[in-house]
Amino acid sequence: MNNDAILVMENIHKSFDDLEVLKGIDLTVNRGEVVAVIGPSGGGKSTLLRCATTLEKIDSGRIVIAGDTLCEMDGEKLKYADKARLRHIRSRFGLVFQNFNLFPHFSVRRNITESLIHVLGKTKDEANGICDDLLLKMGLQDKADSYPCNLSGGQQQRVSIARALAANPDIIFFDEPTSALDPELTKGVLEVIRDLASEHMTMVIVTHEMTFARDVADRIVFMDGGVIVEEGPAYDLVTNPKSQRTKEFLAGY
Amino acid sequence: MTKELLISSCQQLLSGFEFTLGIFAFTLIFSLPLGLLVARGRMSKNIVVASLVRFYISVMRGTPLMLQLLLVYYGPYYLFGTSTGGIKIGPFNYRFIAAIIGFSLNYAAYFAEIFRGGIQSMPKGQYEAAQVLGFTKSQTYFKIILPQVIKRVLPSVANEVITLVKDTSLAQVLSVSEMFFIASSLASKQVSIMPFLVAGLFYYIMNALIEMMITKIEKKMSYYS
Repeated sequence: MNNDAILVMENIHKSFDDLEVLKGIDLTVNRGEVVAVIGPSGGGKSTLLRCATTLEKIDSGRIVIAGDTLCEMDGEKLKYADKARLRHIRSRFGLVFQNFNLFPHFSVRRNITESLIHVLGKTKDEANGICDDLLLKMGLQDKADSYPCNLSGGQQQRVSIARALAANPDIIFFDEPTSALDPELTKGVLEVIRDLASEHMTMVIVTHEMTFARDVADRIVFMDGGVIVEEGPAYDLVTNPKSQRTKEFLAGY
Repeated sequence: MTKELLISSCQQLLSGFEFTLGIFAFTLIFSLPLGLLVARGRMSKNIVVASLVRFYISVMRGTPLMLQLLLVYYGPYYLFGTSTGGIKIGPFNYRFIAAIIGFSLNYAAYFAEIFRGGIQSMPKGQYEAAQVLGFTKSQTYFKIILPQVIKRVLPSVANEVITLVKDTSLAQVLSVSEMFFIASSLASKQVSIMPFLVAGLFYYIMNALIEMMITKIEKKMSYYS
Protein backbone atom coordinates (compact mmCIF):
# COMPACT_ATOMS: atom_id res chain seq x y z
CA MET A 1 0.00 0.00 0.00
CA ASN A 2 1.18 3.46 -0.82
CA ASN A 3 2.16 5.31 2.36
CA ASP A 4 0.91 8.51 0.87
CA ALA A 5 -2.59 7.19 0.32
CA ILE A 6 -5.11 9.43 2.10
CA LEU A 7 -8.16 7.44 1.10
CA VAL A 8 -8.17 3.71 0.54
CA MET A 9 -11.39 1.92 -0.37
CA GLU A 10 -11.11 -1.78 -1.09
CA ASN A 11 -13.72 -4.12 -2.51
CA ILE A 12 -16.61 -1.98 -1.28
CA HIS A 13 -20.03 -3.61 -1.44
CA LYS A 14 -23.22 -1.83 -0.53
CA SER A 15 -26.86 -2.78 -1.05
CA PHE A 16 -30.11 -1.04 -0.25
CA ASP A 17 -32.52 -3.89 0.43
CA ASP A 18 -32.25 -6.02 -2.72
CA LEU A 19 -30.56 -3.40 -4.85
CA GLU A 20 -26.79 -3.70 -5.00
CA VAL A 21 -25.51 -0.16 -5.47
CA LEU A 22 -21.76 -0.73 -5.09
CA LYS A 23 -20.39 -3.95 -6.51
CA GLY A 24 -16.84 -4.19 -5.28
CA ILE A 25 -15.30 -0.75 -5.71
CA ASP A 26 -11.56 -0.16 -5.33
CA LEU A 27 -10.40 3.41 -5.08
CA THR A 28 -7.20 4.91 -3.73
CA VAL A 29 -6.56 8.64 -3.50
CA ASN A 30 -3.07 9.88 -2.76
CA ARG A 31 -2.07 13.01 -0.89
CA GLY A 32 -2.45 16.10 -3.03
CA GLU A 33 -4.44 14.29 -5.65
CA VAL A 34 -7.71 15.61 -7.08
CA VAL A 35 -10.05 12.86 -8.22
CA ALA A 36 -13.30 13.59 -10.03
CA VAL A 37 -16.01 10.94 -9.99
CA ILE A 38 -18.37 11.15 -12.92
CA GLY A 39 -21.15 8.99 -14.27
CA PRO A 40 -24.91 8.78 -14.80
CA SER A 41 -27.37 9.26 -11.93
CA GLY A 42 -27.96 6.07 -10.00
CA GLY A 43 -24.51 4.79 -10.93
CA GLY A 44 -23.35 4.76 -7.33
CA LYS A 45 -21.17 7.90 -7.19
CA SER A 46 -23.01 9.59 -4.36
CA THR A 47 -23.36 6.35 -2.42
CA LEU A 48 -19.61 5.81 -2.68
CA LEU A 49 -19.04 9.28 -1.27
CA ARG A 50 -21.58 8.71 1.49
CA CYS A 51 -19.86 5.45 2.44
CA ALA A 52 -16.46 7.14 2.59
CA THR A 53 -17.86 9.88 4.82
CA THR A 54 -19.60 7.54 7.31
CA LEU A 55 -23.11 8.65 6.28
CA GLU A 56 -23.80 5.14 4.99
CA LYS A 57 -22.40 1.91 6.32
CA ILE A 58 -20.95 -0.50 3.79
CA ASP A 59 -21.82 -4.20 3.75
CA SER A 60 -18.29 -5.43 3.17
CA GLY A 61 -14.88 -4.09 2.25
CA ARG A 62 -12.25 -1.91 3.84
CA ILE A 63 -11.95 1.86 4.21
CA VAL A 64 -8.88 3.70 5.52
CA ILE A 65 -8.83 7.48 5.85
CA ALA A 66 -5.58 9.32 6.60
CA GLY A 67 -4.06 6.16 8.04
CA ASP A 68 -7.02 5.41 10.32
CA THR A 69 -9.08 2.34 9.58
CA LEU A 70 -12.75 3.26 9.37
CA CYS A 71 -13.82 -0.33 8.78
CA GLU A 72 -12.38 -3.65 7.71
CA MET A 73 -13.26 -7.30 7.47
CA ASP A 74 -12.71 -9.45 10.52
CA GLY A 75 -13.06 -12.83 8.89
CA GLU A 76 -16.54 -12.83 7.39
CA LYS A 77 -17.75 -9.95 9.53
CA LEU A 78 -17.35 -6.25 8.87
CA LYS A 79 -16.01 -4.26 11.82
CA TYR A 80 -16.35 -0.49 12.15
CA ALA A 81 -14.17 1.72 14.31
CA ASP A 82 -15.54 2.50 17.78
CA LYS A 83 -17.28 5.78 18.60
CA ALA A 84 -14.21 7.70 19.73
CA ARG A 85 -12.20 6.56 16.72
CA LEU A 86 -15.10 7.46 14.40
CA ARG A 87 -15.16 10.98 15.80
CA HIS A 88 -11.45 11.29 15.24
CA ILE A 89 -11.74 10.04 11.67
CA ARG A 90 -14.56 12.50 11.03
CA SER A 91 -12.27 15.35 11.96
CA ARG A 92 -9.78 14.19 9.32
CA PHE A 93 -12.07 14.74 6.36
CA GLY A 94 -14.50 17.44 5.24
CA LEU A 95 -17.69 17.00 3.25
CA VAL A 96 -19.38 19.59 1.07
CA PHE A 97 -23.01 18.76 0.34
CA GLN A 98 -24.95 19.40 -2.81
CA ASN A 99 -27.47 21.55 -0.93
CA PHE A 100 -24.96 23.06 1.52
CA ASN A 101 -26.72 21.93 4.73
CA LEU A 102 -25.59 25.01 6.58
CA PHE A 103 -27.17 25.52 9.99
CA PRO A 104 -29.74 28.26 9.29
CA HIS A 105 -29.99 29.46 12.89
CA PHE A 106 -26.25 30.06 13.15
CA SER A 107 -24.38 33.03 11.70
CA VAL A 108 -21.74 32.31 9.08
CA ARG A 109 -19.11 32.61 11.80
CA ARG A 110 -20.85 30.14 14.09
CA ASN A 111 -21.41 27.69 11.25
CA ILE A 112 -17.65 27.58 10.81
CA THR A 113 -16.47 27.83 14.43
CA GLU A 114 -19.04 25.75 16.34
CA SER A 115 -17.41 22.38 15.69
CA LEU A 116 -13.91 23.81 16.15
CA ILE A 117 -14.85 24.92 19.65
CA HIS A 118 -17.17 22.11 20.73
CA VAL A 119 -15.66 19.13 18.92
CA LEU A 120 -11.98 19.95 18.55
CA GLY A 121 -11.72 21.94 21.78
CA LYS A 122 -10.19 25.06 20.26
CA THR A 123 -10.53 28.38 22.06
CA LYS A 124 -12.95 30.97 20.74
CA ASP A 125 -10.05 33.19 19.62
CA GLU A 126 -8.33 30.36 17.75
CA ALA A 127 -11.60 29.39 16.07
CA ASN A 128 -12.36 32.98 15.10
CA GLY A 129 -8.87 33.35 13.65
CA ILE A 130 -9.34 30.25 11.50
CA CYS A 131 -12.78 31.47 10.45
CA ASP A 132 -11.51 34.92 9.41
CA ASP A 133 -8.70 33.40 7.34
CA LEU A 134 -11.06 31.04 5.57
CA LEU A 135 -13.67 33.71 4.86
CA LEU A 136 -10.97 35.91 3.37
CA LYS A 137 -9.93 33.05 1.15
CA MET A 138 -13.55 32.52 0.07
CA GLY A 139 -14.01 36.23 -0.63
CA LEU A 140 -16.61 36.45 2.12
CA GLN A 141 -14.69 38.44 4.72
CA ASP A 142 -17.62 40.85 5.21
CA LYS A 143 -20.19 38.07 5.71
CA ALA A 144 -19.09 36.64 9.07
CA ASP A 145 -22.14 38.01 10.88
CA SER A 146 -24.66 37.28 8.12
CA TYR A 147 -27.08 34.38 8.29
CA PRO A 148 -27.21 31.77 5.53
CA CYS A 149 -30.68 32.89 4.41
CA ASN A 150 -29.23 36.29 3.47
CA LEU A 151 -26.58 34.83 1.20
CA SER A 152 -26.79 33.71 -2.42
CA GLY A 153 -26.54 29.99 -3.17
CA GLY A 154 -22.97 30.43 -4.35
CA GLN A 155 -22.01 32.27 -1.18
CA GLN A 156 -23.70 29.63 0.96
CA GLN A 157 -21.75 26.91 -0.80
CA ARG A 158 -18.51 28.79 -0.22
CA VAL A 159 -19.38 29.06 3.48
CA SER A 160 -19.94 25.33 3.56
CA ILE A 161 -16.56 24.79 1.89
CA ALA A 162 -15.01 27.00 4.58
CA ARG A 163 -16.82 24.93 7.21
CA ALA A 164 -15.44 21.72 5.70
CA LEU A 165 -11.92 23.19 5.63
CA ALA A 166 -11.99 24.57 9.17
CA ALA A 167 -10.68 21.47 10.93
CA ASN A 168 -7.73 21.42 8.51
CA PRO A 169 -8.70 18.00 7.14
CA ASP A 170 -6.51 15.66 5.11
CA ILE A 171 -9.12 15.25 2.42
CA ILE A 172 -12.29 16.98 1.28
CA PHE A 173 -15.22 15.31 -0.42
CA PHE A 174 -17.56 17.27 -2.67
CA ASP A 175 -20.97 15.83 -3.50
CA GLU A 176 -22.08 17.62 -6.68
CA PRO A 177 -21.14 21.00 -5.19
CA THR A 178 -22.68 23.08 -7.98
CA SER A 179 -25.75 21.04 -8.88
CA ALA A 180 -28.09 23.12 -6.72
CA LEU A 181 -26.78 26.42 -8.07
CA ASP A 182 -27.85 28.67 -10.90
CA PRO A 183 -25.29 28.55 -13.72
CA GLU A 184 -23.99 32.08 -13.03
CA LEU A 185 -23.36 31.17 -9.38
CA THR A 186 -21.36 28.02 -10.07
CA LYS A 187 -18.35 30.01 -11.27
CA GLY A 188 -17.34 31.35 -7.87
CA VAL A 189 -17.63 27.92 -6.27
CA LEU A 190 -15.61 26.22 -9.01
CA GLU A 191 -12.94 28.92 -8.69
CA VAL A 192 -12.61 28.21 -4.99
CA ILE A 193 -12.21 24.49 -5.67
CA ARG A 194 -9.67 25.27 -8.40
CA ASP A 195 -7.67 27.36 -5.90
CA LEU A 196 -7.72 24.49 -3.44
CA ALA A 197 -6.46 22.16 -6.17
CA SER A 198 -3.57 24.48 -6.91
CA GLU A 199 -2.69 24.34 -3.21
CA HIS A 200 -2.63 20.54 -3.54
CA MET A 201 -5.57 19.92 -1.26
CA THR A 202 -6.56 16.26 -1.55
CA MET A 203 -10.07 16.15 -2.98
CA VAL A 204 -12.68 13.76 -4.27
CA ILE A 205 -15.31 15.56 -6.33
CA VAL A 206 -18.51 13.99 -7.57
CA THR A 207 -19.56 16.28 -10.40
CA HIS A 208 -21.44 16.72 -13.63
CA GLU A 209 -19.21 19.62 -14.72
CA MET A 210 -17.20 17.76 -17.32
CA THR A 211 -14.99 20.66 -18.43
CA PHE A 212 -14.22 21.47 -14.83
CA ALA A 213 -13.37 17.84 -14.07
CA ARG A 214 -11.11 17.66 -17.09
CA ASP A 215 -9.26 20.87 -16.20
CA VAL A 216 -8.99 20.57 -12.42
CA ALA A 217 -8.85 16.87 -11.61
CA ASP A 218 -5.68 14.80 -11.88
CA ARG A 219 -7.67 11.66 -12.35
CA ILE A 220 -11.23 10.90 -13.38
CA VAL A 221 -13.19 7.87 -12.28
CA PHE A 222 -16.20 6.92 -14.40
CA MET A 223 -18.79 4.95 -12.47
CA ASP A 224 -21.85 3.19 -13.80
CA GLY A 225 -23.97 0.30 -12.55
CA GLY A 226 -22.14 0.15 -9.24
CA VAL A 227 -18.70 -0.46 -10.70
CA ILE A 228 -15.79 1.68 -11.84
CA VAL A 229 -16.02 1.32 -15.60
CA GLU A 230 -12.93 3.30 -16.42
CA GLU A 231 -10.42 5.53 -14.71
CA GLY A 232 -7.39 7.43 -15.82
CA PRO A 233 -5.67 10.80 -16.14
CA ALA A 234 -8.40 13.43 -16.43
CA TYR A 235 -7.54 14.85 -19.80
CA ASP A 236 -7.02 11.45 -21.43
CA LEU A 237 -10.25 10.02 -20.12
CA VAL A 238 -12.36 12.92 -21.32
CA THR A 239 -10.70 13.35 -24.72
CA ASN A 240 -9.98 9.70 -25.43
CA PRO A 241 -12.23 7.36 -23.48
CA LYS A 242 -11.58 3.67 -23.99
CA SER A 243 -14.79 2.01 -22.86
CA GLN A 244 -17.92 2.17 -25.00
CA ARG A 245 -20.05 3.19 -21.97
CA THR A 246 -17.75 6.07 -21.12
CA LYS A 247 -17.90 7.25 -24.72
CA GLU A 248 -21.70 7.13 -24.73
CA PHE A 249 -21.87 9.01 -21.42
CA LEU A 250 -19.42 11.71 -22.48
CA ALA A 251 -21.20 12.13 -25.81
CA GLY A 252 -24.11 13.58 -23.82
CA TYR A 253 -21.96 16.57 -22.79
CA MET B 1 -75.03 45.90 41.28
CA THR B 2 -73.33 48.32 43.63
CA LYS B 3 -69.80 49.51 43.25
CA GLU B 4 -68.75 47.85 46.51
CA LEU B 5 -70.16 44.53 45.39
CA LEU B 6 -68.34 44.76 42.08
CA ILE B 7 -65.03 45.54 43.82
CA SER B 8 -65.40 42.69 46.31
CA SER B 9 -66.38 40.33 43.47
CA CYS B 10 -63.30 41.35 41.54
CA GLN B 11 -61.15 40.77 44.61
CA GLN B 12 -62.54 37.30 45.08
CA LEU B 13 -62.14 36.49 41.41
CA LEU B 14 -58.54 37.67 41.53
CA SER B 15 -57.84 35.40 44.49
CA GLY B 16 -59.19 32.57 42.35
CA PHE B 17 -57.05 33.81 39.52
CA GLU B 18 -53.99 32.89 41.57
CA PHE B 19 -55.03 29.25 41.32
CA THR B 20 -55.78 29.64 37.63
CA LEU B 21 -52.31 31.06 37.13
CA GLY B 22 -50.84 28.28 39.27
CA ILE B 23 -52.47 25.53 37.23
CA PHE B 24 -51.41 27.26 34.04
CA ALA B 25 -47.77 27.73 35.04
CA PHE B 26 -47.22 24.31 36.63
CA THR B 27 -48.89 22.57 33.70
CA LEU B 28 -46.55 24.26 31.24
CA ILE B 29 -43.50 23.57 33.40
CA PHE B 30 -44.29 19.86 33.49
CA SER B 31 -46.02 19.21 30.18
CA LEU B 32 -43.52 20.88 27.83
CA PRO B 33 -40.49 18.74 28.81
CA LEU B 34 -42.75 15.71 29.24
CA GLY B 35 -44.12 16.33 25.75
CA LEU B 36 -40.59 16.30 24.35
CA LEU B 37 -39.97 12.98 26.10
CA VAL B 38 -43.26 11.53 24.88
CA ALA B 39 -42.46 12.65 21.34
CA ARG B 40 -39.17 10.75 21.55
CA GLY B 41 -41.00 7.69 22.82
CA ARG B 42 -43.51 7.97 20.00
CA MET B 43 -40.65 8.01 17.48
CA SER B 44 -38.77 5.21 19.25
CA LYS B 45 -37.49 2.32 17.18
CA ASN B 46 -38.57 0.03 20.00
CA ILE B 47 -42.02 -1.13 18.87
CA VAL B 48 -43.26 -1.80 22.40
CA VAL B 49 -42.34 1.69 23.59
CA ALA B 50 -43.71 3.33 20.44
CA SER B 51 -47.04 1.48 20.65
CA LEU B 52 -47.50 2.17 24.35
CA VAL B 53 -46.82 5.85 23.83
CA ARG B 54 -49.12 5.92 20.84
CA PHE B 55 -51.89 4.38 22.96
CA TYR B 56 -51.27 6.93 25.71
CA ILE B 57 -51.54 9.82 23.25
CA SER B 58 -54.65 8.31 21.73
CA VAL B 59 -56.42 8.02 25.11
CA MET B 60 -55.35 11.50 26.24
CA ARG B 61 -56.65 13.09 23.06
CA GLY B 62 -59.66 10.84 22.71
CA THR B 63 -61.33 11.25 26.11
CA PRO B 64 -62.62 14.37 27.89
CA LEU B 65 -60.03 16.23 29.93
CA MET B 66 -62.69 16.62 32.62
CA LEU B 67 -62.94 12.84 32.92
CA GLN B 68 -59.17 12.53 33.11
CA LEU B 69 -59.09 15.04 35.95
CA LEU B 70 -61.73 13.08 37.84
CA LEU B 71 -59.82 9.83 37.32
CA VAL B 72 -56.57 11.29 38.63
CA TYR B 73 -58.40 12.66 41.64
CA TYR B 74 -60.53 9.65 42.54
CA GLY B 75 -58.32 6.95 41.00
CA PRO B 76 -56.00 6.36 43.98
CA TYR B 77 -58.99 5.79 46.25
CA TYR B 78 -60.87 3.42 43.96
CA LEU B 79 -57.79 1.52 42.85
CA PHE B 80 -55.85 1.20 46.09
CA GLY B 81 -58.24 2.44 48.72
CA THR B 82 -55.74 5.18 49.48
CA SER B 83 -57.11 8.28 51.11
CA THR B 84 -55.72 11.33 49.36
CA GLY B 85 -57.19 13.83 51.80
CA GLY B 86 -53.99 14.16 53.79
CA ILE B 87 -51.62 14.53 50.85
CA LYS B 88 -50.00 17.92 50.70
CA ILE B 89 -47.00 19.33 48.90
CA GLY B 90 -46.10 22.69 50.38
CA PRO B 91 -49.27 24.77 50.35
CA PHE B 92 -50.99 22.57 47.74
CA ASN B 93 -53.64 20.00 48.62
CA TYR B 94 -54.37 16.91 46.56
CA ARG B 95 -57.17 18.61 44.61
CA PHE B 96 -54.72 21.07 43.21
CA ILE B 97 -52.00 18.44 42.71
CA ALA B 98 -54.46 16.15 40.90
CA ALA B 99 -55.40 19.03 38.62
CA ILE B 100 -51.73 19.65 37.78
CA ILE B 101 -51.11 15.94 37.12
CA GLY B 102 -54.23 15.64 34.95
CA PHE B 103 -53.52 18.77 32.93
CA SER B 104 -49.82 17.91 32.50
CA LEU B 105 -50.52 14.38 31.27
CA ASN B 106 -53.13 15.65 28.84
CA TYR B 107 -51.17 18.60 27.48
CA ALA B 108 -47.98 16.54 27.19
CA ALA B 109 -49.82 14.33 24.69
CA TYR B 110 -50.78 17.31 22.52
CA PHE B 111 -47.34 18.90 22.81
CA ALA B 112 -45.72 15.57 21.95
CA GLU B 113 -47.56 15.41 18.64
CA ILE B 114 -46.61 19.01 17.86
CA PHE B 115 -42.96 18.33 18.71
CA ARG B 116 -42.97 15.13 16.69
CA GLY B 117 -44.22 17.03 13.66
CA GLY B 118 -41.50 19.65 14.17
CA ILE B 119 -38.71 17.13 14.65
CA GLN B 120 -39.78 15.06 11.65
CA SER B 121 -39.95 18.14 9.46
CA MET B 122 -36.23 18.76 9.99
CA PRO B 123 -34.23 17.98 6.85
CA LYS B 124 -31.98 14.93 7.10
CA GLY B 125 -29.09 17.06 5.88
CA GLN B 126 -28.95 18.91 9.21
CA TYR B 127 -28.21 15.64 11.02
CA GLU B 128 -25.73 14.58 8.37
CA ALA B 129 -23.84 17.88 8.42
CA ALA B 130 -23.64 17.70 12.21
CA GLN B 131 -22.48 14.09 12.06
CA VAL B 132 -19.59 14.65 9.66
CA LEU B 133 -18.50 17.68 11.69
CA GLY B 134 -18.10 15.30 14.63
CA PHE B 135 -20.91 16.56 16.88
CA THR B 136 -22.20 13.97 19.34
CA LYS B 137 -25.85 12.92 19.22
CA SER B 138 -26.76 15.11 22.18
CA GLN B 139 -24.83 18.11 20.81
CA THR B 140 -26.67 17.66 17.52
CA TYR B 141 -29.99 17.50 19.30
CA PHE B 142 -29.55 20.45 21.63
CA LYS B 143 -27.47 22.77 19.41
CA ILE B 144 -28.71 22.05 15.92
CA ILE B 145 -32.10 20.36 15.94
CA LEU B 146 -34.03 21.60 18.98
CA PRO B 147 -33.49 25.35 18.42
CA GLN B 148 -34.84 25.03 14.90
CA VAL B 149 -37.72 22.81 16.01
CA ILE B 150 -38.75 25.39 18.61
CA LYS B 151 -39.09 28.04 15.93
CA ARG B 152 -41.11 25.70 13.72
CA VAL B 153 -43.55 24.60 16.42
CA LEU B 154 -44.02 27.96 18.13
CA PRO B 155 -47.33 28.85 16.41
CA SER B 156 -48.88 25.48 17.27
CA VAL B 157 -47.56 25.53 20.83
CA ALA B 158 -48.98 29.05 21.23
CA ASN B 159 -52.37 27.70 20.23
CA GLU B 160 -52.23 25.09 22.98
CA VAL B 161 -50.98 27.58 25.55
CA ILE B 162 -53.92 29.87 24.84
CA THR B 163 -56.33 26.95 25.05
CA LEU B 164 -54.78 25.95 28.37
CA VAL B 165 -55.64 29.33 29.90
CA LYS B 166 -59.32 28.63 29.27
CA ASP B 167 -59.09 24.90 30.08
CA THR B 168 -57.92 25.70 33.63
CA SER B 169 -61.62 26.36 34.34
CA LEU B 170 -62.17 22.59 34.14
CA ALA B 171 -60.40 22.26 37.48
CA GLN B 172 -63.68 23.31 39.07
CA VAL B 173 -64.82 19.65 38.85
CA LEU B 174 -62.21 18.97 41.53
CA SER B 175 -63.49 21.95 43.55
CA VAL B 176 -60.18 23.73 43.09
CA SER B 177 -61.06 27.32 43.87
CA GLU B 178 -59.78 28.68 40.59
CA MET B 179 -61.37 31.69 38.98
CA PHE B 180 -64.25 29.98 37.22
CA PHE B 181 -65.19 28.09 40.38
CA ILE B 182 -65.32 31.38 42.27
CA ALA B 183 -67.27 33.01 39.44
CA SER B 184 -69.88 30.23 39.59
CA SER B 185 -70.40 30.57 43.31
CA LEU B 186 -70.54 34.38 43.13
CA ALA B 187 -72.99 34.20 40.25
CA SER B 188 -75.38 31.95 42.15
CA LYS B 189 -75.07 34.03 45.31
CA GLN B 190 -75.71 37.30 43.48
CA VAL B 191 -78.14 35.80 40.97
CA SER B 192 -76.19 37.65 38.29
CA ILE B 193 -74.18 36.83 35.20
CA MET B 194 -71.79 39.67 36.02
CA PRO B 195 -69.11 37.55 37.80
CA PHE B 196 -68.88 35.32 34.71
CA LEU B 197 -68.38 38.33 32.46
CA VAL B 198 -65.67 39.74 34.71
CA ALA B 199 -63.98 36.34 34.81
CA GLY B 200 -64.21 36.20 31.02
CA LEU B 201 -62.53 39.59 30.83
CA PHE B 202 -59.68 38.34 33.05
CA TYR B 203 -59.17 35.26 30.86
CA TYR B 204 -59.13 37.49 27.82
CA ILE B 205 -56.59 39.92 29.30
CA MET B 206 -54.31 37.04 30.21
CA ASN B 207 -54.49 35.62 26.71
CA ALA B 208 -53.95 39.03 25.14
CA LEU B 209 -50.74 39.32 27.17
CA ILE B 210 -49.69 35.82 26.08
CA GLU B 211 -50.31 36.70 22.45
CA MET B 212 -48.14 39.78 22.83
CA MET B 213 -45.36 37.72 24.35
CA ILE B 214 -45.53 35.14 21.59
CA THR B 215 -45.42 37.83 18.90
CA LYS B 216 -42.30 39.16 20.61
CA ILE B 217 -40.66 35.73 20.67
CA GLU B 218 -41.57 35.12 17.03
CA LYS B 219 -40.00 38.43 16.10
CA LYS B 220 -36.88 37.52 18.02
CA MET B 221 -36.65 34.25 16.11
CA SER B 222 -37.28 35.79 12.71
CA TYR B 223 -33.60 36.62 12.18
CA TYR B 224 -33.41 33.53 9.99
CA SER B 225 -35.81 31.66 7.78
